[in-house]
Amino acid sequence: MRLARPLAAGTAASALVLALGACGSGSSGGDDGATIKIAYQKFGNFTQADELFKDVKAAYEADNPDVTIELVPIEASQNDYFTKLALMNRSPSTAPDLMYEDTFMIKSDVEAGYLLPLDDHLAGWDDWDQFVDQAKQAGLGDDGKTYGVPLGTDTRGLWFNKEVLAKAGLPEDWAPTTWDELLEAARAIKAADPDVIPLNVYSGKPMGEASSMQGFEMLLYGTGGTLYDVESSRWVVGSQEFVDSLEFIETIYTEGLAPTPQQALDPNVGNTVSAEWLPQGKLGIALDGSWMPGTWLDDGAAPWPEWTEVMGTAAMPTQHGQEPGAVSMSGGWTMAIGAGTENPDVAFDVLTYAIDKENALRFAIENSQIAVRTDVAEEPSYAEANPTVPFFSDLVEVTHFRPATSDYAQISNAIQVAMESVMTGQQSPEEAAAVYDEAVIGLVGEENTTAG
Amino acid sequence: MAQTTPAASPVPVGVGAGVAVSTPGTAHRRRRPPSVASSDPRSARLLSNVVLVVVGLCFLLPLGWIVLASLDASATLAVRVPEDVTFANYSAVMTPEQTWVPLANSFVLSAGTGLITVVASVLAAYPLSRYRMRFNKPFMYAVLFGTCLPITAMMVPVYSLFVRLNLLDSLPGTTFFMAATSLPMAIWMTKNFMDSVPISLEEAAWTDGASAMTTLRRVVLPLMRPGLAVVFIFVFIQAWGNFFVPFVLLLTPEKQPAAVSIFAFFGQYGSVAYGQLAAYSMLYSLPAVALYVLVSRLSGSSFALAGAVKG
Amino acid sequence: MTSVTAPLAPAGARGAGPVRPRRTPARRTAGRLVPLVPATALLALFMLGPVVWSFYGSFTNAALTGPNAANPEWVGLENYLQLLSDPNFPKAIWLTVLFVIASAVIGQNVAGLALAMLMRSAVRPVRAVVSTLVVTAWVLPEIVAAFAAYAFFHADGTMNSLLGSVGIAGPDWLFEHPMLAVILANVWRGTAFSMMVYSAAISEVPPEITEAATVDGASAVQRLVWVTLPTIRRSISTNLMLTTLQTLSVFTLIYVMTGGGPGTDSSTLPILAYQEAFKFAQVGYGTAIATVMLVIGAVFSVVYIRSLRPEVD
Repeated sequence: MRLARPLAAGTAASALVLALGACGSGSSGGDDGATIKIAYQKFGNFTQADELFKDVKAAYEADNPDVTIELVPIEASQNDYFTKLALMNRSPSTAPDLMYEDTFMIKSDVEAGYLLPLDDHLAGWDDWDQFVDQAKQAGLGDDGKTYGVPLGTDTRGLWFNKEVLAKAGLPEDWAPTTWDELLEAARAIKAADPDVIPLNVYSGKPMGEASSMQGFEMLLYGTGGTLYDVESSRWVVGSQEFVDSLEFIETIYTEGLAPTPQQALDPNVGNTVSAEWLPQGKLGIALDGSWMPGTWLDDGAAPWPEWTEVMGTAAMPTQHGQEPGAVSMSGGWTMAIGAGTENPDVAFDVLTYAIDKENALRFAIENSQIAVRTDVAEEPSYAEANPTVPFFSDLVEVTHFRPATSDYAQISNAIQVAMESVMTGQQSPEEAAAVYDEAVIGLVGEENTTAG
Repeated sequence: MAQTTPAASPVPVGVGAGVAVSTPGTAHRRRRPPSVASSDPRSARLLSNVVLVVVGLCFLLPLGWIVLASLDASATLAVRVPEDVTFANYSAVMTPEQTWVPLANSFVLSAGTGLITVVASVLAAYPLSRYRMRFNKPFMYAVLFGTCLPITAMMVPVYSLFVRLNLLDSLPGTTFFMAATSLPMAIWMTKNFMDSVPISLEEAAWTDGASAMTTLRRVVLPLMRPGLAVVFIFVFIQAWGNFFVPFVLLLTPEKQPAAVSIFAFFGQYGSVAYGQLAAYSMLYSLPAVALYVLVSRLSGSSFALAGAVKG
Repeated sequence: MTSVTAPLAPAGARGAGPVRPRRTPARRTAGRLVPLVPATALLALFMLGPVVWSFYGSFTNAALTGPNAANPEWVGLENYLQLLSDPNFPKAIWLTVLFVIASAVIGQNVAGLALAMLMRSAVRPVRAVVSTLVVTAWVLPEIVAAFAAYAFFHADGTMNSLLGSVGIAGPDWLFEHPMLAVILANVWRGTAFSMMVYSAAISEVPPEITEAATVDGASAVQRLVWVTLPTIRRSISTNLMLTTLQTLSVFTLIYVMTGGGPGTDSSTLPILAYQEAFKFAQVGYGTAIATVMLVIGAVFSVVYIRSLRPEVD
């Protein structure tokens, strides 16, 4: 055994190291006191959540010395953020205790078993009465329980640079009433200055949910069409409205009324629109969200004090001006608790601390959210911070919500694929719509679809 | 053969070739007859040089962009001599959060991968090199086969496996995975280096009553020290440059190596802060380039080893 | 050629090792195998593990979100059937083949061989500088090489600024010709490897043979075709196989330069697998694509090993 023994010892040592490596990977929390891991997005101009949670961590830890808050800022574009968050949620060792969760992912993540129902906790939280009902709806799972506490909501409309429009002979109170008028305005801007991008509508996979929601659904829901028939609980396939919406995308991207497809397919284009193109007068009209001023405020990523003078807003018209004349989409973000958290009570306590009235007000102002707490909405500082609040709040009357089903997240991907093939000329709107139909049938089964 | 990183090759190829490149064919060239029957050797020679210079320029341009843009106060995507030379790009990215922590993570990951790989492959190579066993051939075939599988391009099942093993977002887990994927190549290399240490030296030790482990440690390893350094450095460079593996397996920013953090930087600021991206790229690349220079020196001496022992 | 073939030399070429007469052969062998345990354990867990998992996962509908994330079900061949009806899959196969053939089999090999030949007749400083540049592109971390290539082919990049200086308005390479851009980038990045293999191989061609051919009046091209290439054919086949396998699994370069786009116009198999599994949350489906990739790699691998067999046995 002269040979084998020492070698065996070395071997055993290596095996031990291997085993240790496997063991050492568990939760990073200490045993004494709770560790709460918060996952959120931090990307480009969107630093408001990062700043908020950094302050929450400092303040909460000072008040509760036995609690450690671990911040996990996920530096990824929106689409990649969902991927990374799902990758984390999938494994118990990495699943966050508390996460910044888009409302449209809630139902899907509930079914995946990632989220904890909050009803018992909410029952004992006085502030919950301050939340408007519509916002509460967004945090519901298919089982009717609440899984997310909303941070804010939003609407979408047309932002335009008045200076650019003036050069094209368009008025300061420009307000298109049909798609054609919108296209005419874009053509006029292009004619007045070919170097200016007339109209930005997000499209394609890299922009992820922004393409589906700010882009496609703002069109589709203005045609009278829909993605999902609520009464029959079926997904709509083969609809002319779907093709019409893709045709709009095709028109602007092939006529040069939109950014070049390469610009539009840069995952960073959202930052570029708000921080560069609009302030620098390189873009005329942007179909975008109510949160845009968050970038331009004094403590935003690209302060632009003149924005209140230069930027105008208009509602997105319906296709032919049909009733109600305008269209908007609403979403929003919530705070949710991971199903696997070891300290649900502490996690909920951190959650309520992070979005108490003061923090909710701060987040609503800094990130230009439409407040979901009545006590926040009534604060004078909230209305003063952003003169477009009344305009975007009024859009709530014509707003739509994304289909509240767990399949939506994946169907949204199919929409982005269809948009990208149309904007790049790989497929005609009809072809892309047919591929979409097939994808939907593949995802939900033919029995859950209905012909539009 | 899973990556295009340097070390992904069965390295002896690279090592041997690396030596050859520094003096390609010089030994034979001198013996070439002075007159060549083909048209005009001088113009052919000139043509070769001109073609090479052109090729060199093509290779230089993309590389030159990184160097020049990193020093350019207003860098663009096109290569150009900076009007305004500055180190501001470097100082802007040289913060702990942006650069040093990710580089430290890269170091831990790469050094760990290198160490585990070297230890495991030395242990494995010894019996493979020293004993004639029926087991050897199938094992070496399996290793060769493993070298060729695109494991590191199949991060989807690897991710699922890591979820199941509860190793996701674990630096040790990722290190062991990277070590395992570089093992087949490292075992080939190490065994090859070990084969070149004459067994006669060990036989002397055995007659003195030393165990196999002792001779491995006292006789074999010292003689193949340069070879081990070559293996270690190649595995290190491979791990240092790997993006896809940590991109999928490490999720917490504070654990991510430079490859991943530089990608996040590219995604967020890549279309605005070209100079900083280039400066960060320089900082991240320098260790790999420096180590490569070191290994090409070492591999020279490592090949000289066989001759020295023979003599 | 020893530098290329040596590492592939047969196991057990050495002597029989220390004699241990006191122990039975079986126990002796077992003892001798012990040091192989760490390596074998690592390989079994992290090489074999993903392979097994890949086959297993490809028969499930595992997802990143939704009900199938909580309870993945066994779906048999459904993922593979779906692959057959997915237009992106044959496209990805074709793009992968195109990428491998154009950038590895043709690009890197021919460029590498040409460089190795040219180097022999170049003056020392040219040779030193050019080989350093070529090798540097190869030594850089993959993602940095990808940034450099991205900047080079970007619409506002070096390529177009060069074309612009001679009055040509260059296209948006990454968008209009994504495959061309990534193929050229991969040639740029990977040629060093082939160049080094061929430099080593050519330097071992006995000069007498070349000289004899020269004396017989063979032209440079004839010497290449009839003397040099047949002599280094083993290096050629080894190198072809290695570069093919490397290129098959290129992910980072394409992911950074084009993200597989526009649309799916540069989505090779590794990119498609990643997109389907993680972007579109269909882990099972993405795993099926990875499994296809694995099988292709395994087939190449077997061909490669068989071609080396006479030497190993």
